[in-house]
Amino acid sequence: MLDFIMQDWILDLGWIVAKIMVVIGPLLIAVAYLTLAERRVIGFMQLRKGPNVVGPFGLFQPFADALKLMAKETILPAGANKVVFMVAPMLTFILSLVAWAVIPFGEGLVIANINVGILYLFAISSLGVYGVIMAGWASNSKYAFLGALRSAAQMVSYEVSMGLVIINVLLCAGSLNLLDIVEAQREMWFALPLLPMFVVFFISTLAETNRAPFDLPEGESELVAGYFVEYSSMSFALFFLGEYANMILMSSMTVILFLGGWLSPIDIWPLNVIPGPLWFIIKIMLVLFVFLWVRATTPRYRYDQLMRLGWKIFLPFSLIYVVLTAGFLLITDRLPAVVLG
Amino acid sequence: MLKLTVNDVEVEVEEGSTVLHACEEAGVEIPRFCYHDRLSIAGNCRMCLVDMERAPKPIASCAMPAGDGMVIRTDTDRVRKAREGVMEFLLINHPLDCPICDQGGECDLQDQAMGYGLDGSRFSENKRAVNNKYMGPLISTVMTRCIHCTRCVRFATEVAGVPELGAIGRGETMEITTYLEKTLASELSANVIDLCPVGALTSRPYAFTARPWELNKVESVDVMDALGSNIRVDARGAQVMRVLPRLNEDINEEWISDKTRYAIDGLRRQRLDTPFQRGRDGRLHPVSWDEALKSLATALRKAKPKGIAAVAGDQADVESMFALKSLMTRLGSSNIDCRQDGAKIGGKRAGYLFNSTIAGIDDADALLIIGSNPRIEAAVLNARIRRNWLASRMPIGVVGPKIDLTYDADFLGEAPSNLDAIADGNHKFAVKLKKAKRPMIIIGMGAMTRADGAAILGKARRIAEAYGVIANGWNGFNMLHTAAARVGGLDIGFVPGRGAMDIAAMGKAARAGKLDLLWLLGADEIDFDAFSSSFIVYQGHHGDAGAHHADLVLPGAAYTEKDGIYVNTEGRVQYASRAAFPPGDAREDWAIIRAVSGAVGKSIGFDNLAELRDALCAAHPHFADVDQIAPTKWSSFGGRAKLSAEPVTYALSNFYMTCAISRASETMAECVRANGVDSSTAAAAE
Amino acid sequence: MSALVNAVRSFLLLELGKGLFLTLKYFFKPKVTINYPYEKGNLSPRFRGEHALRRYPNGEERCIACKLCEAVCPAQAITIEAEPRDDGSRRTTKYDIDMTKCIYCGFCQEACPVDAIVEGPNFEFATETREELYYDKDKLLANGDRWETEIARNLSADARWR
Repeated sequence: MLDFIMQDWILDLGWIVAKIMVVIGPLLIAVAYLTLAERRVIGFMQLRKGPNVVGPFGLFQPFADALKLMAKETILPAGANKVVFMVAPMLTFILSLVAWAVIPFGEGLVIANINVGILYLFAISSLGVYGVIMAGWASNSKYAFLGALRSAAQMVSYEVSMGLVIINVLLCAGSLNLLDIVEAQREMWFALPLLPMFVVFFISTLAETNRAPFDLPEGESELVAGYFVEYSSMSFALFFLGEYANMILMSSMTVILFLGGWLSPIDIWPLNVIPGPLWFIIKIMLVLFVFLWVRATTPRYRYDQLMRLGWKIFLPFSLIYVVLTAGFLLITDRLPAVVLG
Repeated sequence: MLKLTVNDVEVEVEEGSTVLHACEEAGVEIPRFCYHDRLSIAGNCRMCLVDMERAPKPIASCAMPAGDGMVIRTDTDRVRKAREGVMEFLLINHPLDCPICDQGGECDLQDQAMGYGLDGSRFSENKRAVNNKYMGPLISTVMTRCIHCTRCVRFATEVAGVPELGAIGRGETMEITTYLEKTLASELSANVIDLCPVGALTSRPYAFTARPWELNKVESVDVMDALGSNIRVDARGAQVMRVLPRLNEDINEEWISDKTRYAIDGLRRQRLDTPFQRGRDGRLHPVSWDEALKSLATALRKAKPKGIAAVAGDQADVESMFALKSLMTRLGSSNIDCRQDGAKIGGKRAGYLFNSTIAGIDDADALLIIGSNPRIEAAVLNARIRRNWLASRMPIGVVGPKIDLTYDADFLGEAPSNLDAIADGNHKFAVKLKKAKRPMIIIGMGAMTRADGAAILGKARRIAEAYGVIANGWNGFNMLHTAAARVGGLDIGFVPGRGAMDIAAMGKAARAGKLDLLWLLGADEIDFDAFSSSFIVYQGHHGDAGAHHADLVLPGAAYTEKDGIYVNTEGRVQYASRAAFPPGDAREDWAIIRAVSGAVGKSIGFDNLAELRDALCAAHPHFADVDQIAPTKWSSFGGRAKLSAEPVTYALSNFYMTCAISRASETMAECVRANGVDSSTAAAAE
Repeated sequence: MSALVNAVRSFLLLELGKGLFLTLKYFFKPKVTINYPYEKGNLSPRFRGEHALRRYPNGEERCIACKLCEAVCPAQAITIEAEPRDDGSRRTTKYDIDMTKCIYCGFCQEACPVDAIVEGPNFEFATETREELYYDKDKLLANGDRWETEIARNLSADARWR
């Protein structure tokens, strides 16, 4: 019996599961409180207080919302493709979680330290489109379908410029490993030399996560919501959780690529005694605040404006910037050895 | 013709017109309270003041005879000020209780105060208060609101012929009263409610129940008597709230009788709202339409065609009678009769019409009434006779019991032999008839329902022919019906075919057990004892005698609940309109007959009302001419048998209860309690 | 020139920055929210809340069934039926307001010649079923009895302008 338990692969599996739990548990709580934070931040910016009744400072509000959503009836539209309809929200939710496998929380604190971490992240975030398309198609509703087409096009468009922005970072870092990318910023965060790219990347993450001002899929008043218009109850909640988990994921990506990951801003006391994971979380929270702040500030883009920004401004701009960065690194002979091969 | 100038518009009016007429001719509206077209001129409200050139002060246009060359102005400051002043004076003692006044929303004083009055009052003293007067169960009085226009007094005295209303006191203490606090003993009494320009006299049964703006107003035709008075039915939802007269100069002018106006509360009581079938226990049980139609179809199939008969009641519309006649024809029976009282009329059309037309009464100069009490059989028509009598004092002779007709009449006696004497020329009234240029004869149902009715009709025709009642351009031979359906039924030939049974024969056959099925289309006034062996189908709207004796009850629609054609006693075709829907499962009568025809598998050739009317008009073209009287040719009719010695009576003894609706009406019952069965005999007995 | 300025302006995201700064400024401003069930805002005497039928001080109901409120009601939420009461006065036998139809315009109150129907200061009359919002005469009179003090105060406060 003991032998069985002490078998290596079981121990490894248990260790992996434990690590996953350590990441996902807090992540889900973070998602819950992100919704509360969003409502309160936006409320504050609109001179309101936001939810403050359920629990002290409204801290139990997310749980009340979750209870409400769970208690609601799950409606399956009569004409829907039932299997795909139910799989779509699960897919979205799972994809928003699996990406966390390669996110380093500190020096060596990562579930799977793979060489191509950034490619993995990029691939997973691109897969998010499938959940959207499946939801829109399976609903068998013209509104959901059009909404899905819209947000799929939006997500694909901004991924192009995001890829180019990441090439900028990779040129500077010389590695696809996220730990290496963070380590490469020990002297200077990439946000400073690549400031325009940082801005482009951040705006693209807004579009990628369907956040304001690119929240066309959520334009209830003028566009009848979008791909999840037919969803209710827990299936809706999964979309909702996926969206907010994606926000956190994208924030952490921003932090890793541009804001030095778990590194303290400057290597002096007392900043450098604060543990790396804490810095990481603080930075993520700051980026998330900007997410919410932008939502409270900007009105929604029109669809054609959104496409124009993605294809006619961000794409050429980031393409030119790749050339500039590469040229600058070549001239100053700072190109990483890996790149030179 | 007189030429006047009103506000720079030149108008011509006839000799004897007033300035007010001239103003109306010029299209100028003159406010008025006391003046009324059909009443004498009082000139006491002063609202109609206008300016006349060279007159030192405004003149009352209603009382000023129009003169040639008069120059009238109605738009001067003086006229405006005069109207404002008059209005202010009227409003001094008029209470501000419009919110609780039933006249609110249709009040002349309200409207004219809006149009011509000031916006405020300078009167701060106490207003006067007047005790309310009792005027019977129909008229509710709030005499504080009275503005003393005296229209009601003039109406009672001149039109209704019951001078029981009057004014006592002068100035502020003036009051309109019935003197003895008694019911206004007239069949037209409720018309004072319409005449009253304020809310002093309002309708008691209608009191506080509805506002004019919430009522759905439908123009229709009355069926309470054979005049076909034009009425407006005001309904709220499914309930008929009131009936008002509609102007028709040829029939009812603008009056209607109290029964026409108030019997409608009977429409809410004792209604048949679902089919009933008599069960084994001898009681009527509600059944579905399917069951009712099925059992009727079975009964119709089982019965011999010769053993099926149909009788139309007094309020049946032409369409349903036509449909029933078609169905009976298809069933192979011509045992149909629309004369449930057994009147000996029919055949030649001139023999059953009011040939002179109602308006023709105005031209008559001698009148012989045979077996008719127009006061209760046609109260509005009686007012016309009285108007002619007031103007011309024409000789009026009546063959029948002594009654108070509101005008002086010569009661020649109850014996039919008087007619023989007149025909022979040796009767005192024959002289008066002979002298007259346009003599008129009115024959009532009291004479026609007698066993020798045909003989009386023939005698009357011979009198008419002998005394110039039928002269060039003048036909004074008149039949006054009591049933609204009668002329229509006779027009479409709802009478037994050759060798078929009429109502009397049906009774005889039933007693002999030879009548299998009797279909009553709203007929309640037949002798049901005779038909105890027959299967009786009652199609109608009230649980009256017919439904009581029926084996199968088909709930139909009352006259306010269907579009129907009625032909009045003159032969005038009029279309009535639906004001409300029949209650419960009750249906329009023609549709019921159509459904029965489907159930027995005998098509009658139409599926909707339009098709029915097309078929009706194809068979009887004159039904297409709405509000027209088809011309009739004079021909010989009536019998030649010897008149019996039995005294002539009248058809109706109770003005207030003549049909299923009025018998169910609580208001009519109250009138009977207050007035006795009718005021003409009561007054004659005094 | 202005095209150049515009290009620079948009590439530097100046307007966006201004907007973000404004919302950040508001983030720190004092909040105006009232903590509703525990704190309540001030109500004008003209506030149009839940309906009530008032009585005279002697207990006689004011409504005289003139039906003016029924006529003026733009949502046709009021249904009245009337008949003479035993003492001969004009009274309603039915006075229903469908509160789910009512748009709280206050016309009924304005139309009423005897101040019988009023819209009182109560706005907390949410119910769990629609049926409870079909008010009948008893309910309206009970409202009047409960809120009479406030209603009378509001009416007198507003009387000068009516």
